[in-house]
Parts: sequence; C-alpha cells; structure tokens
Amino acid sequence: MQILINGFISGIAIALLAMAFQMVYLPTRVLFVGLAGLYTLAPYLFQMGASELGGWMGGLLVSLCGVVTLAVLFEWANHAPLTRKRASEGAHLIASLGLYILVVQVVAMIWGNETRTLRTGLDVTYAMGDTILTQSQLLMGGVGLLLLLAVLAMLYLTDIGLRLRALADNPTQFALYGYNVDAHRLLAFALAGVLATAASLLTARDIGFDPHTGLNATLLAIVAVIIGGRTSLIGPIIGGLLLGLIRAQVVWQFSARWQEAVTFLVLALFLLLRPQGLFGRETRIETTVK
Amino acid sequence: MNYLIHLLIYLDIYVIVALSLNLVVGYCGMLTLAHAGYFALGGYVYALLAITLGWSFFPALLAAILIATIVSLAVSLPAWRLKGDFFVLGSLAVQALLFSLFYNWFDPQAPLGSWSNLTNGPFGIAGIPKPDVLGYNVADPISFLILATLLTVICAGIFWRLKASPWGRVLIAMREDELAARGLGKNTRLLKVQALAISCGLVAVAGALYASYIGYLDPSSATLNESILILSMVLVGGVGNFRGPIVGAIILITLPELLRFLHLPDAQAANLRLACYGLLLVLMMHFRPQGISGEYRLK
Repeated sequence: MQILINGFISGIAIALLAMAFQMVYLPTRVLFVGLAGLYTLAPYLFQMGASELGGWMGGLLVSLCGVVTLAVLFEWANHAPLTRKRASEGAHLIASLGLYILVVQVVAMIWGNETRTLRTGLDVTYAMGDTILTQSQLLMGGVGLLLLLAVLAMLYLTDIGLRLRALADNPTQFALYGYNVDAHRLLAFALAGVLATAASLLTARDIGFDPHTGLNATLLAIVAVIIGGRTSLIGPIIGGLLLGLIRAQVVWQFSARWQEAVTFLVLALFLLLRPQGLFGRETRIETTVK
Repeated sequence: MNYLIHLLIYLDIYVIVALSLNLVVGYCGMLTLAHAGYFALGGYVYALLAITLGWSFFPALLAAILIATIVSLAVSLPAWRLKGDFFVLGSLAVQALLFSLFYNWFDPQAPLGSWSNLTNGPFGIAGIPKPDVLGYNVADPISFLILATLLTVICAGIFWRLKASPWGRVLIAMREDELAARGLGKNTRLLKVQALAISCGLVAVAGALYASYIGYLDPSSATLNESILILSMVLVGGVGNFRGPIVGAIILITLPELLRFLHLPDAQAANLRLACYGLLLVLMMHFRPQGISGEYRLK
C-alpha cells in the first residue's frame, strides 16, 4: 500500500510536468526541451523571493512571475521566429535544447552547483493506517491533483480551452477563422510555465534541487507523454501516474539504481509496440507529425 | 609544446567522432543523441580487454569496433519504424540505457572485469594502459599523436570513400525522400542498419583512443551532455559534406581554449563554456541552420 501511494504521488509530479510539455507540444508541435530550464530555475527564484519578500507567498509570486516570463520569452524570441521562417522540427528541438543549456549554466554560475533544499529540518510525517506520508507528499498529492483537474476543466469547459484545442487540431484553419495564433501560442507557453513551476516547487520541497535535475524530470515527462499518447490531453496524466507506479515497483522489487533503465525500457517497448500510446488515435507515425 | 600536442590529440579524437556522427545526421538525416554512449562503449571495451586480459592495442580496438557495431542495432532497429522527433527520443532512450549500464553494472565486492562488476560504476576504470602497437609501447605524447593522426586519417579515408561510392549516393537519396528510394527498390532498412553500424563502429575507435590517452574512464563520458556536445559540434560545423564536421570539431575544441585566456575562475569557466555552446546552437538554428559550411538542413 505504501509503495502504491508513493508511486502515485511521484506519478502526480511526473504528470504535472508531462501536462506542461503536452500543453506546448499539441498547439505548437514544438518538442519543448527548454521546459527543463524552466523547471531548474523555479526553486532558485522561490528561494530568492522567499528571502527578499518574506514567506512562501513571496517566493511563489517571484518564481511564478519569473518562470512564466521566461517561458513567454522563449516563444517570443525563439520559437515564434523559427516558425515564421518555417524551420524544421529538428531546428526547433535543437534551439530549445540550446536554450535549456544556456539557462542551466547561467543558474549554475549565479547560484552554484550544489544541492539545496526548500525546507529546513526533517519533514513532518502523518500516519494513516499502515502507511506513512510526509507533509511534502501530501502537499504534492493535494496541490498536484487540484492543478491537474483545474487544467483539464479549463481545457474542456471554458472558451479559451476550446480555442487551444482547436489550435492543436488545425492551426491553419484556426488562423483562417480570425483567431490570433501567436497570442494563443504565447498563452500555451505561459500555462506550461505555470505547470512546470508547480511540478518543480513541489518536487524540490520533497527531495531538494540542483541545477541538473531539470533534464531528467523532463525526460520522464516526455516518456509519460509517449506512454499516454501524444495526441491526447488525458494521456500525459495517465502516463505520468503509470510511470510513477512502475518506478516505485522497480525500487521495491530490484533496486533504485535500475529505475532509469526500466523507465527507458518501457519507453522503447511502447515506441516499438504501441507508438501512438495508450490514448492516442490509431494513425501512421509519419502522418501524425506534420 | 606539450599543450599543443594535447590539443591536437583531442582534435584527432573529435574529428573521428564528428565524421562518424555526420554519416548518420548528415547523410541519413537522422538526429541521434546516443553517440556518446557508443563513444564510451568503445572506451570501456578497450579498457577492460587491455586491463583484465592484457590484449594489445589493435586486437582490443577491433573488439571494441565489433561490439559497438553489434550494439548499434539498438538504435538502428527502432529506426525502421521511428521518424523525425520520435527517432530522436528513441535514441535518447538508448543513450539513457547505455549510461545506466555503465553506471550500475558494478559491485564493490567483486574484482573489476568480473561478471558482476564489469564497469566499476561511478568510480570509473583507472590505470588504462597506453597503446601497445606491435610490441612498441606508445607512451610519449608525440608518438601518441602520430598514432591518433594515423587512425584519424584512416577513418577519414573510409568516410571519404563511402561518400563518393554508390552506397553514399543511395544514402543521400534516402535522406531526401525515403519513399521514393524504396520505390526504386532500395532496401532503406538495411541501409540505415549499415550506416549506423559503420558510424557506431568508428566512434568506438575514437572512444578507445580517448580511454588509452587519458588512462581513466568513467560514466561521465557517456552522459547526455556529452552527446549534446558532439551533436553541437556537427551542427555548428555543418552536416552533409566532408569539411563541415571537421570545421565544427576545430571550433568546439578551440573555443574553450580561447576562453581559458580570459582568466575566469575555474568554477565559472566550465559553465561559461557550456553556456556558449547553448547560445551557439540557438543562434545557428536562427541564422544558419545548415551550419557554417554544411550542405544539408535538418528536416
């Protein structure tokens, strides 16, 4: 039971980041690796804000504003001009990777390479029956679930959500109907920034952070997206939860050091046997990506 | 003088790496992120054979090439079905798998090279012997430089021949339009397997050279960052022809050395170097997507 719950909660963190990735990927078709840079930056801004403005509210404000601004800048200064030039997907990916490297190295230059934590002292624990949860885990489970539900509600119940899904479906037709494609793309990047901040801060509170955590977390998120289905909006969430559960099982059955290997083995199996993912539409792989 | 020789040896090693990656990225149009894994694989095979079995340089090198060639199937078989971004992700998976093998295949109790402790994990393999060529021990920098240059020339010659051969032209045809190439009866699956096998086999040569030159090898040479460095070498220089990767290797080897003259504190210098690579990649994608002297833009 303990293992199931641990897996479920770490799965929520993966699902949050996977949702952030999907939020950008579906409307813009950009494989947004720069997300890892945002993920890295968030806890540092939180610490700075918390010490300057005082309290976790200040930290949250500073990190949210900072990360969303940076996400919007990524789109405005990098991906939008590339799209205008009709650059290839490969070019988007490489440029995004370049941005990630840039952000991480600047973070490391300013704040140093060592691991930090967001909380002081040991975490408060709560016992429920025969399972023990820490405060960080409860926070991650609660806030994470709420955020995921809120995002889904926004996508499926509101007007903006409808327009984002329309943009994801067919950008050309969306533009022909007179909607502003650029503004909606910016919105998608900003939302991804919010989700990445949440995922990053909640994880950092639990296990600490250093400049190099971002890429691994993002890779996990991408694996979750592929498992769940690239064309689906619920896919990444289910994929993330599934991945969290599988990884927790691996730790229990074998050892923590094979976690990564098993994760990428799962990815390889999915790519070979079910490339459209659990919730993806059945299409040829060449035609889904255009 | 020794510093210059050291730089030239590094350049030799990375020219082989860049040329081999060019065969995949430039001629097949497949962006692979697993190359550092194969580089390290070559180094590990060489190091283990040289240390535990006492093999001399060339047999160990041949074994490294052979094993890397066989393991290249891990990237080339998925390439049958995966295209574009999803091939990139597939290769990323292979990269992560190789890294975690190098990092985790060890047991502190067992001696190095036994079945349960093959790679010595995070501690790496130390004391890798200098190459032993036909009974002559290549220990001093000058003779090592000669050996490295010789191997680089041989590898470059192989790529030159491949590029000019009918096989190379079919490869370019496949890159431009795979469906048309298949329509003309070319076996594109086999072509991909062949190209990746050659590329991975030759990058193993560079890995073995690196391991024997430094004398120490740990999993950090198989990280994703290393793959990105190699890839940026090829992308900055340009892909799809012979001189592009060489230009890229020269730039990315000399750039950090130039930064060294700015007298930055050591802790900042490494970060600044990587930040420069990142910026360089972004700028290249915006202003010259085919690289400095390349011929082909990524699809």
